[in-house]
Amino acid sequence: MKPVAVTLCLFAMVATPLWGQEDTTETRAFVRGGVYDKPYLTQLLGRAALGGYAEFHSRWEREDGINEFSFVAKRFNLFTAARVSDFVRFAAELEFEDGAEEILLEFASIDLTIHRAFAVRAGMLLSPLGRFNLAHDSPLNEFTDRPVTSTDIFGVALSEPGLGALGSIPVGGSGRVTYEAYLVNGFNDGVINNSPDGTRIPEGRRNFEDNNSAPSFVGRVTYSPNLGFELGLSGYTGPYNQFQSEGARLDERRNVNLWVLDFEGSLLGFEFSGEGGFGNVDIPPTLIGTLASDQAGFYLDILRDFGHGWISTMAQSHFSVGARLESVDFNRDIEGDDTRQISLGFNFRPNAESVYKFNYVRGRTTDSFNNAAQFSKLLFSVATYF
Amino acid sequence: MSNYSTAIKKPLPLLALLVVGAAACDTLLTSAPEDADVFDAPVPGLTDAEMVVFLLGDEGFEEAFSPATGVGPIFNDVACGACHSGDGRGRIENALTRFSRGSDPALDEGGPQLQDRAIAGAVPEVLPVGVDVSVRLPPPVFGVGLIEAIPAAAILANADPADADGDGISGRPNWVTPAAWVPHTEVGGGSGPQLGRFSRKAQVSSVLQQSVEAYSQDMGITTDFLPVDNVNPQSGASTLASDLVPDPEVPLATVRAVVDYVRMLAPPAPGEDTPSRLFGSTLFDQIGCQNCHVREFTTGDSRISALANTRVVLYSDLLLHDMGDELADNRPDGMADGREWRTTPLWGLRLVREFLNGDMFLMHDGRASTVEEAILLHGGEATGVRLAFEALSAEDRAALVDFVESR
Ligand code: HEC
Ligand code: HEC
Repeated sequence: MKPVAVTLCLFAMVATPLWGQEDTTETRAFVRGGVYDKPYLTQLLGRAALGGYAEFHSRWEREDGINEFSFVAKRFNLFTAARVSDFVRFAAELEFEDGAEEILLEFASIDLTIHRAFAVRAGMLLSPLGRFNLAHDSPLNEFTDRPVTSTDIFGVALSEPGLGALGSIPVGGSGRVTYEAYLVNGFNDGVINNSPDGTRIPEGRRNFEDNNSAPSFVGRVTYSPNLGFELGLSGYTGPYNQFQSEGARLDERRNVNLWVLDFEGSLLGFEFSGEGGFGNVDIPPTLIGTLASDQAGFYLDILRDFGHGWISTMAQSHFSVGARLESVDFNRDIEGDDTRQISLGFNFRPNAESVYKFNYVRGRTTDSFNNAAQFSKLLFSVATYF
Repeated sequence: MSNYSTAIKKPLPLLALLVVGAAACDTLLTSAPEDADVFDAPVPGLTDAEMVVFLLGDEGFEEAFSPATGVGPIFNDVACGACHSGDGRGRIENALTRFSRGSDPALDEGGPQLQDRAIAGAVPEVLPVGVDVSVRLPPPVFGVGLIEAIPAAAILANADPADADGDGISGRPNWVTPAAWVPHTEVGGGSGPQLGRFSRKAQVSSVLQQSVEAYSQDMGITTDFLPVDNVNPQSGASTLASDLVPDPEVPLATVRAVVDYVRMLAPPAPGEDTPSRLFGSTLFDQIGCQNCHVREFTTGDSRISALANTRVVLYSDLLLHDMGDELADNRPDGMADGREWRTTPLWGLRLVREFLNGDMFLMHDGRASTVEEAILLHGGEATGVRLAFEALSAEDRAALVDFVESR
C-alpha cells in the first residue's frame, strides 16, 4: 500500500503547482481555456496526460440565392501534456482538420518556470495575438464558426516556432497582470502571394524555418482587476518578405504589423467577450492598388446561460443563448471588400465539456466594386472534449 | 414510468421559435436579385449540358489569380471579374492603356498594352515617351454571344463608308486579321480578314481571341493558345524568371468554359415603358440616334441553340464612326483610324450605377458620368444629331435621356 500512497502523494505535489498553480491565492489559469486549462488535465493519472477534442458540423449555407449543404468532419485534435520536473513542463496539440486533409502540429512547447512571474517558453508556440488565438477549442466556443476577424485577419490558429518569456504578476487584492513575449519566425510572402482574394495575412503563417533570417516579435499583456474580467492588448511585427538571402540584399524589408485588443467580462448575468484589431502589410510598390495594405475587424459576443437542471436526467446540463456581431474590412483603402454578419446561437450542453450548437447567421459581403451579396447560414454542430 | 418522458421541462418554446424563424424563409435566409436585373444571368433556354459549362465558366470568370497560381509577371488585374464588375463595365481605375507608334504596335517597347503592375521580382512597364495612347474602359461582357451570332451580312448592310445617302453618317466595318491560333471553326476565325465586332474599336473578330488575349495581356495567365508569358521588354533581367508557375496556367477546359460563359450571358431586361419613355423612344428615332444606335438585329445560326434566330435589341450597328476631335485618341487600331469608335450598345444602361458603387462611367474612357454628358460629347459624324438633341426643349431632352437610361 505504501508505494501507492507515496506515488499519489508525490504526484499530488508535482501536479498541484501545474494544474492548481503553486500559490493557493493564485488558482487562476494563465489563460482561461488555454493550453494548461483543459478538462483532460484534471483527470491526470500518469506523468503525461492525453486528451483532446472533436468537432462535427452540418452546414446549410446560402449566398446570392444559391444553396449549399454539407456535413463536415471538422476537427479531431489530440492534446498531451506532461510535468517533467518541478520546473519543466511540456504540452502539445496535434490537429487533424477536415478529415485529416490537413494535419498540423499546432502546439508543442517546453516551459521552464523559474518563478510565477517569469517562465521561459520554447518550441512551437501559440502566438499570443488576442485571447481567441490562445483559447479557441470548439467545445469552449458558443458559436460553430470562429470569428471571421480572428481567422481571416489575425490567422487563428496562429502558431509558430519561437522563444520567449511569460509570467503573471499579482496586483491589488485579486487583480493581476500577465505578459507573454516571444521572438518567432514570422510570416512569409504568402501574405500577398497566395490568396486570390488579395492580401490575406494568414496565408503567410506556419513557417518552420525563417524565410528572411529576421525574427518577428509577438506579445500580449493583460490586466484583470478580478476573476471574470480581463483586458488584453497584443501586438505583432516583423518582416514577411525574403528581403535578404545568403547574405545578399534582394529587396526592401516589408513588415506585417498587427494590433489586437480583447476583453471578457460579465454583467447582469450576461457574459461579454470580443476582440478588435488592425492588420497592416507593407505592399510592394508594383502591387499597390491590387492589394490591400490596411485591414481591420472586430467581433462582440453576448451570452447567457439558463436552464440548469431543466433536464432532470442530465444533472449538469444547461442551455445558452448568444449573439455575435462581426465586421471585417479586408481593404480599408476602398469602399468594398468587407463582410458584416450577425450570428444567433442556441446551445445545449449536456455537461460543461460537450456542446450541441444551433446557429443562424445572416450577413452581407461586398466585392472590390462594393457589389453586395447577401448570405445566410443554418449551422448545427457538436463538439466535445475528451 | 420513463424518466425521459418528463425530462425536458422548458426549452421547447425556444426550439419552436427557431423553427418558425426558419419558416419565414426569404427574409431570414436572403434572396437573390431577379435575372432581369443583373448582368450575369444565362440566356433562357440553355440545355442542361450548356448550363454545366455556364456554371464552370462563371467560376473561371470570377477566378482571381495570385502569384502562386500564375498571375503576371506583368499584368493589369487578377480576374476577368475584377475589371468587368458583375459582368458589366469597369471603373476608371480598371481602364487599360493601349499604346503604339502610329500603326506600329511598339512590341519592343512593351506595346500594344501597358502592364503597369508586376509580381515580386518583375518590373512593371512604364509608358514610353512620345507614343500614341488610348485609354479603354472595360465594356460589359454580357450579350457578346448574341453579337457573335448576328450574320455579318446584316451588320454590313448598314455600312455606308462613302456616305452614299448623304446623311453625314457613314459607318465602316473594321476588317481584322484574326490571330493564327484562333480555330477556323470560330466565328471571326479563319484566314483572311474577318469582320471585327468586339472591343471599343471593333478590333477583335472573335470572343475566343478577346478572352485568350485578356488572360495573356490583362492578367499574365498562359493558356494553350498563348503558352508563353507576356514579358516586359523594357526590363533588364528576364521577367519570365519571376513567374515559376508551370504553363499553361489555366487549363484549356476552363478557357473554353469562360468563352462559352460570356457567350451565354443574357442582356438584362429594359425598364418599364412609361409614356415619357415611349415619347423619348420616338425622339430617339426622329433626331437620328438610331442611325448608329440601330435598335435591333436578328441572329442567324448558332452552335448554342438558345442564341440562334432570336431578336437582339442592343442599340448599335457595331460599325465604326468618326466621332470628332474631342473623342479622338489619334491611335489607329486595325483598320479603325484615330477618330473612329464602334457604336456602343446601349443595353443595360439602367443598371450601370448598381454595379459601379453608384457611379456611371460612359464612353470609351469613362469620361462622361451622365447620359446627357455622353450625348453632348458626340461630334464628327454625330454632330448633326447632337445639334438636333441640343435644339430639343428641356422636357423633350429629359424624355429622350430617360428612355436611353432605362435600356
Ligand atoms: C484589366 C482589366 C480587364 C481584365 C482583367 C479583363 N478585361 Fe475584358 N476588357 C477590358 C477592356 C478595357 C476591354 C475593351 C478593350 C478595348 O476596347 O480595346 C475589354 C473587352 C472585353 C470583351 C469585349 C466586349 C465587347 O463588347 O466588345 C470581352 C468579351 C471581354 N473583355 C472578356 C474578358 C474575359 C473573358 C476576361 C478574363 C479572361 C477579361 N475580359 C478580363 C478589360 C479587362
Ligand atoms: C454617328 C453615330 C452616332 C450617333 C448618330 C449617335 N451615337 Fe451615341 N455613340 C456613338 C459612338 C461611336 C459611341 C462611342 C463613343 C466613345 O466611346 O467615345 C457612342 C456612345 C454613346 C453613349 C455612351 C454609351 C456608353 O455605354 O458609354 C450614349 C449614352 C449614346 N451614345 C447615346 C446616343 C444618343 C442618345 C444619340 C442620339 C441623340 C446618339 N448616341 C447618337 C455613335 C453615335
